[in-house]
Amino acid sequence: MGTVSVRYIVDDVDAAIGFYCGQLGFEEEMHPDPAFAMVRRDDLRLLLAAPIGADHRGGGSRPMPDGTIQQPGGWNRFRIELDDLDGAVGRLRQAGARFRNDVVTGVGGRQILVEDPAGNPVELFEPAGKRS
Amino acid sequence: MPDPLDRLRLPVVAVEPRPEFAAALRRRLEGDVASDDSVVVRPTATVRYFVDDLDLAVAFYRDELDFDVEMQPSPAFAMLYRGELRLLLSTPAGHVLPDGAVPEPGGWNRMSLRVADLARTVEDLRRRGVRFRNEIVSSVGVHQILLQDPAGNLVELFEPTDGYHERT
Repeated sequence: MGTVSVRYIVDDVDAAIGFYCGQLGFEEEMHPDPAFAMVRRDDLRLLLAAPIGADHRGGGSRPMPDGTIQQPGGWNRFRIELDDLDGAVGRLRQAGARFRNDVVTGVGGRQILVEDPAGNPVELFEPAGKRS
Repeated sequence: MPDPLDRLRLPVVAVEPRPEFAAALRRRLEGDVASDDSVVVRPTATVRYFVDDLDLAVAFYRDELDFDVEMQPSPAFAMLYRGELRLLLSTPAGHVLPDGAVPEPGGWNRMSLRVADLARTVEDLRRRGVRFRNEIVSSVGVHQILLQDPAGNLVELFEPTDGYHERT
Protein backbone atom coordinates (compact mmCIF):
# COMPACT_ATOMS: atom_id res chain seq x y z
CA MET A 1 0.00 0.00 0.00
CA GLY A 2 1.12 3.49 -0.64
CA THR A 3 3.45 2.86 -3.52
CA VAL A 4 3.06 4.16 -7.03
CA SER A 5 4.98 2.22 -9.66
CA VAL A 6 6.29 3.60 -12.93
CA ARG A 7 8.33 1.67 -15.48
CA TYR A 8 10.90 3.39 -17.67
CA ILE A 9 12.65 1.59 -20.49
CA VAL A 10 16.39 2.34 -20.54
CA ASP A 11 19.21 1.05 -22.69
CA ASP A 12 21.77 1.01 -19.86
CA VAL A 13 20.42 0.16 -16.42
CA ASP A 14 23.65 1.00 -14.59
CA ALA A 15 23.81 4.44 -16.18
CA ALA A 16 20.18 4.97 -15.24
CA ILE A 17 20.80 3.99 -11.63
CA GLY A 18 23.70 6.42 -11.54
CA PHE A 19 21.48 9.20 -12.80
CA TYR A 20 18.39 8.61 -10.68
CA CYS A 21 20.28 7.84 -7.47
CA GLY A 22 23.19 10.19 -8.04
CA GLN A 23 21.29 13.20 -9.38
CA LEU A 24 17.63 12.94 -8.45
CA GLY A 25 17.59 11.58 -4.92
CA PHE A 26 16.40 8.03 -5.57
CA GLU A 27 17.60 5.08 -3.50
CA GLU A 28 18.48 1.78 -5.08
CA GLU A 29 16.16 -0.92 -3.81
CA MET A 30 17.27 -3.84 -5.93
CA HIS A 31 19.34 -4.58 -9.01
CA PRO A 32 18.93 -8.33 -9.37
CA ASP A 33 19.66 -8.53 -13.08
CA PRO A 34 21.74 -6.47 -15.53
CA ALA A 35 18.48 -5.63 -17.30
CA PHE A 36 16.45 -4.54 -14.28
CA ALA A 37 16.61 -2.31 -11.24
CA MET A 38 14.11 -0.91 -8.78
CA VAL A 39 14.77 2.51 -7.30
CA ARG A 40 12.60 4.53 -4.97
CA ARG A 41 11.97 8.16 -4.11
CA ASP A 42 9.32 8.72 -1.44
CA ASP A 43 6.16 7.04 -2.67
CA LEU A 44 7.38 6.55 -6.21
CA ARG A 45 8.86 3.19 -7.14
CA LEU A 46 10.66 3.46 -10.46
CA LEU A 47 11.31 0.27 -12.40
CA LEU A 48 14.25 0.62 -14.76
CA ALA A 49 14.13 -2.05 -17.41
CA ALA A 50 16.29 -2.66 -20.44
CA PRO A 51 14.81 -4.41 -23.49
CA ILE A 52 15.15 -8.17 -23.09
CA GLY A 53 14.45 -11.27 -25.13
CA ALA A 54 11.14 -13.10 -25.12
CA ASP A 55 12.63 -15.93 -23.06
CA HIS A 56 14.27 -13.73 -20.41
CA ARG A 57 13.14 -14.43 -16.84
CA GLY A 58 12.18 -10.79 -16.44
CA GLY A 59 8.85 -9.92 -17.94
CA GLY A 60 8.18 -6.21 -18.12
CA SER A 61 10.43 -5.31 -21.01
CA ARG A 62 10.04 -8.32 -23.27
CA PRO A 63 9.11 -7.71 -26.91
CA MET A 64 5.44 -7.58 -27.81
CA PRO A 65 3.81 -10.64 -29.40
CA ASP A 66 4.16 -8.90 -32.78
CA GLY A 67 7.91 -8.57 -32.22
CA THR A 68 7.98 -4.86 -31.41
CA ILE A 69 10.89 -3.98 -29.13
CA GLN A 70 10.26 -1.63 -26.21
CA GLN A 71 12.37 1.52 -26.37
CA PRO A 72 13.23 4.56 -24.25
CA GLY A 73 11.81 7.97 -25.03
CA GLY A 74 8.40 9.47 -25.59
CA TRP A 75 6.79 12.30 -23.65
CA ASN A 76 4.89 10.65 -20.83
CA ARG A 77 6.74 11.04 -17.58
CA PHE A 78 6.64 11.21 -13.85
CA ARG A 79 7.14 14.43 -11.95
CA ILE A 80 9.49 15.24 -9.11
CA GLU A 81 8.45 18.16 -6.93
CA LEU A 82 11.23 20.36 -5.62
CA ASP A 83 11.48 23.37 -3.35
CA ASP A 84 14.34 24.92 -5.30
CA LEU A 85 14.06 24.29 -9.01
CA ASP A 86 16.80 26.70 -10.03
CA GLY A 87 19.25 25.12 -7.63
CA ALA A 88 18.45 21.65 -8.91
CA VAL A 89 18.75 22.74 -12.53
CA GLY A 90 22.11 24.33 -11.81
CA ARG A 91 23.43 21.18 -10.18
CA LEU A 92 22.13 18.98 -12.97
CA ARG A 93 23.61 21.19 -15.67
CA GLN A 94 26.94 21.09 -13.87
CA ALA A 95 26.71 17.31 -13.83
CA GLY A 96 26.18 17.33 -17.58
CA ALA A 97 22.48 16.48 -17.64
CA ARG A 98 20.54 17.28 -20.80
CA PHE A 99 17.38 19.38 -20.73
CA ARG A 100 14.69 19.44 -23.38
CA ASN A 101 13.61 22.99 -22.63
CA ASP A 102 14.19 25.90 -20.29
CA VAL A 103 12.21 26.59 -17.14
CA VAL A 104 8.56 27.27 -18.01
CA THR A 105 6.37 29.28 -15.66
CA GLY A 106 2.66 28.67 -15.25
CA VAL A 107 0.28 29.69 -12.52
CA GLY A 108 0.60 26.32 -10.80
CA GLY A 109 4.35 26.44 -10.67
CA ARG A 110 7.58 26.31 -12.64
CA GLN A 111 8.87 23.28 -14.45
CA ILE A 112 11.52 21.90 -16.77
CA LEU A 113 12.17 18.61 -18.54
CA VAL A 114 15.45 16.84 -17.87
CA GLU A 115 16.47 13.67 -19.72
CA ASP A 116 17.90 10.56 -18.17
CA PRO A 117 20.91 8.94 -19.90
CA ALA A 118 18.55 6.89 -22.10
CA GLY A 119 16.65 9.98 -23.23
CA ASN A 120 13.55 9.55 -21.09
CA PRO A 121 12.00 12.78 -19.81
CA VAL A 122 11.59 13.61 -16.13
CA GLU A 123 9.50 16.63 -15.16
CA LEU A 124 11.03 18.73 -12.39
CA PHE A 125 8.42 20.94 -10.78
CA GLU A 126 8.46 23.67 -8.19
CA PRO A 127 4.95 24.47 -6.96
CA ALA A 128 3.96 28.14 -6.95
CA GLY A 129 4.30 29.73 -3.57
CA LYS A 130 7.36 27.75 -2.57
CA ARG A 131 9.81 30.50 -3.54
CA SER A 132 10.72 33.17 -1.07
CA MET B 1 3.52 42.66 -29.45
CA PRO B 2 2.72 39.23 -28.06
CA ASP B 3 5.18 37.71 -25.69
CA PRO B 4 6.97 34.97 -27.66
CA LEU B 5 6.99 32.87 -24.51
CA ASP B 6 3.19 32.80 -24.34
CA ARG B 7 2.97 29.61 -26.34
CA LEU B 8 5.15 27.90 -23.77
CA ARG B 9 3.02 28.82 -20.82
CA LEU B 10 0.96 26.17 -19.16
CA PRO B 11 -2.79 26.24 -18.77
CA VAL B 12 -3.93 28.12 -15.70
CA VAL B 13 -4.49 25.48 -13.08
CA ALA B 14 -4.14 25.04 -9.38
CA VAL B 15 -1.93 22.11 -8.46
CA GLU B 16 -2.89 21.33 -4.90
CA PRO B 17 -5.93 19.16 -4.19
CA ARG B 18 -8.86 20.87 -2.55
CA PRO B 19 -8.91 20.39 1.22
CA GLU B 20 -12.18 18.48 1.03
CA PHE B 21 -10.75 16.17 -1.62
CA ALA B 22 -7.66 15.58 0.46
CA ALA B 23 -9.79 14.75 3.46
CA ALA B 24 -11.92 12.35 1.42
CA LEU B 25 -8.82 10.72 0.00
CA ARG B 26 -7.44 10.19 3.46
CA ARG B 27 -10.68 8.61 4.61
CA ARG B 28 -10.64 6.25 1.65
CA LEU B 29 -7.05 5.26 2.27
CA GLU B 30 -7.32 4.76 5.98
CA GLY B 31 -10.82 3.41 6.29
CA ASP B 32 -13.79 5.51 7.22
CA VAL B 33 -12.18 7.31 10.11
CA ALA B 34 -13.68 10.45 11.48
CA SER B 35 -12.09 13.50 9.93
CA ASP B 36 -10.50 16.07 12.15
CA ASP B 37 -8.77 19.38 11.80
CA SER B 38 -5.30 17.91 11.61
CA VAL B 39 -5.80 16.14 8.30
CA VAL B 40 -2.49 15.40 6.67
CA VAL B 41 -2.50 14.61 2.99
CA ARG B 42 -0.49 11.50 2.30
CA PRO B 43 2.31 11.83 -0.19
CA THR B 44 1.49 11.41 -3.83
CA ALA B 45 3.45 10.48 -6.90
CA THR B 46 2.63 12.37 -10.06
CA VAL B 47 2.63 11.14 -13.64
CA ARG B 48 1.82 13.14 -16.78
CA TYR B 49 0.38 11.49 -19.90
CA PHE B 50 -0.28 13.21 -23.20
CA VAL B 51 -3.59 12.55 -24.90
CA ASP B 52 -5.17 13.83 -28.10
CA ASP B 53 -8.76 13.81 -26.84
CA LEU B 54 -9.01 14.91 -23.23
CA ASP B 55 -12.66 14.02 -22.67
CA LEU B 56 -12.16 10.51 -24.01
CA ALA B 57 -9.13 10.01 -21.82
CA VAL B 58 -10.82 11.31 -18.67
CA ALA B 59 -13.78 8.99 -19.25
CA PHE B 60 -11.44 6.05 -19.87
CA TYR B 61 -9.39 6.45 -16.72
CA ARG B 62 -12.50 7.17 -14.65
CA ASP B 63 -14.72 4.40 -15.98
CA GLU B 64 -12.26 1.60 -16.79
CA LEU B 65 -9.44 2.10 -14.30
CA ASP B 66 -11.21 3.60 -11.27
CA PHE B 67 -9.57 7.00 -11.18
CA ASP B 68 -11.34 9.90 -9.46
CA VAL B 69 -11.54 13.09 -11.49
CA GLU B 70 -10.18 15.85 -9.30
CA MET B 71 -10.40 18.68 -11.81
CA GLN B 72 -10.73 19.45 -15.49
CA PRO B 73 -10.29 23.19 -15.51
CA SER B 74 -9.60 23.58 -19.20
CA PRO B 75 -9.97 21.66 -22.47
CA ALA B 76 -6.23 20.99 -22.28
CA PHE B 77 -5.76 19.58 -18.81
CA ALA B 78 -7.25 17.25 -16.22
CA MET B 79 -6.06 15.89 -12.89
CA LEU B 80 -7.13 12.49 -11.63
CA TYR B 81 -6.31 10.35 -8.61
CA ARG B 82 -6.10 6.61 -7.97
CA GLY B 83 -4.91 6.00 -4.45
CA GLU B 84 -1.64 7.87 -4.15
CA LEU B 85 -1.14 8.21 -7.87
CA ARG B 86 -1.94 11.62 -9.28
CA LEU B 87 -2.38 11.46 -13.04
CA LEU B 88 -2.11 14.61 -15.11
CA LEU B 89 -3.65 14.38 -18.57
CA SER B 90 -2.47 17.05 -20.98
CA THR B 91 -3.07 17.81 -24.61
CA PRO B 92 0.10 18.62 -26.55
CA ALA B 93 -0.73 22.23 -27.51
CA GLY B 94 0.27 23.81 -24.22
CA HIS B 95 3.58 21.98 -24.08
CA VAL B 96 5.32 22.84 -27.35
CA LEU B 97 9.07 23.09 -26.78
CA PRO B 98 11.31 26.02 -27.74
CA ASP B 99 12.66 24.06 -30.71
CA GLY B 100 9.12 23.44 -31.95
CA ALA B 101 8.96 19.83 -30.80
CA VAL B 102 5.38 18.85 -29.99
CA PRO B 103 4.72 16.25 -27.28
CA GLU B 104 2.64 13.30 -28.37
CA PRO B 105 0.96 10.30 -26.78
CA GLY B 106 2.61 6.91 -26.81
CA GLY B 107 6.04 5.56 -26.05
CA TRP B 108 6.83 2.66 -23.74
CA ASN B 109 7.23 4.32 -20.36
CA ARG B 110 4.19 3.77 -18.23
CA MET B 111 2.57 3.69 -14.84
CA SER B 112 2.02 0.26 -13.37
CA LEU B 113 -1.24 -0.34 -11.51
CA ARG B 114 -1.62 -3.16 -9.02
CA VAL B 115 -4.77 -5.27 -9.25
CA ALA B 116 -5.91 -8.14 -7.04
CA ASP B 117 -6.91 -10.58 -9.78
CA LEU B 118 -5.26 -9.85 -13.11
CA ALA B 119 -6.97 -12.55 -15.17
CA ARG B 120 -10.39 -11.41 -14.06
CA THR B 121 -9.57 -7.73 -14.51
CA VAL B 122 -8.33 -8.38 -18.03
CA GLU B 123 -11.42 -10.38 -18.87
CA ASP B 124 -13.68 -7.61 -17.59
CA LEU B 125 -11.79 -4.91 -19.45
CA ARG B 126 -11.73 -6.88 -22.70
CA ARG B 127 -15.47 -7.30 -22.46
CA ARG B 128 -15.74 -3.52 -22.09
CA GLY B 129 -13.74 -3.03 -25.26
CA VAL B 130 -10.39 -2.05 -23.77
CA ARG B 131 -7.45 -2.77 -26.09
CA PHE B 132 -4.43 -4.70 -24.88
CA ARG B 133 -0.95 -4.51 -26.39
CA ASN B 134 0.13 -8.02 -25.36
CA GLU B 135 -1.03 -11.07 -23.43
CA ILE B 136 -0.43 -11.72 -19.73
CA VAL B 137 3.28 -12.23 -19.06
CA SER B 138 4.41 -14.17 -16.00
CA SER B 139 7.84 -13.40 -14.62
CA VAL B 140 9.69 -12.94 -11.37
CA GLY B 141 7.22 -11.80 -8.72
CA VAL B 142 4.39 -10.63 -10.97
CA HIS B 143 1.89 -11.40 -13.67
CA GLN B 144 1.54 -8.36 -15.90
CA ILE B 145 -0.04 -7.03 -19.07
CA LEU B 146 -0.10 -3.81 -21.09
CA LEU B 147 -3.30 -2.07 -22.09
CA GLN B 148 -3.76 1.03 -24.21
CA ASP B 149 -5.75 4.12 -23.40
CA PRO B 150 -7.78 5.78 -26.20
CA ALA B 151 -4.77 7.91 -27.18
CA GLY B 152 -2.50 4.88 -27.41
CA ASN B 153 -0.64 5.37 -24.13
CA LEU B 154 0.32 2.22 -22.30
CA VAL B 155 -0.82 1.29 -18.80
CA GLU B 156 0.73 -1.72 -17.09
CA LEU B 157 -1.45 -3.85 -14.84
CA PHE B 158 0.20 -6.27 -12.45
CA GLU B 159 -0.71 -8.86 -9.87
CA PRO B 160 1.94 -9.82 -7.32
CA THR B 161 2.95 -13.49 -7.14
CA ASP B 162 5.52 -15.48 -5.17
CA GLY B 163 8.72 -13.52 -4.80
CA TYR B 164 7.09 -10.12 -5.20
CA HIS B 165 9.25 -7.45 -3.62
CA GLU B 166 7.58 -5.29 -0.99
CA ARG B 167 9.66 -2.77 0.81
CA THR B 168 10.00 -3.67 4.46
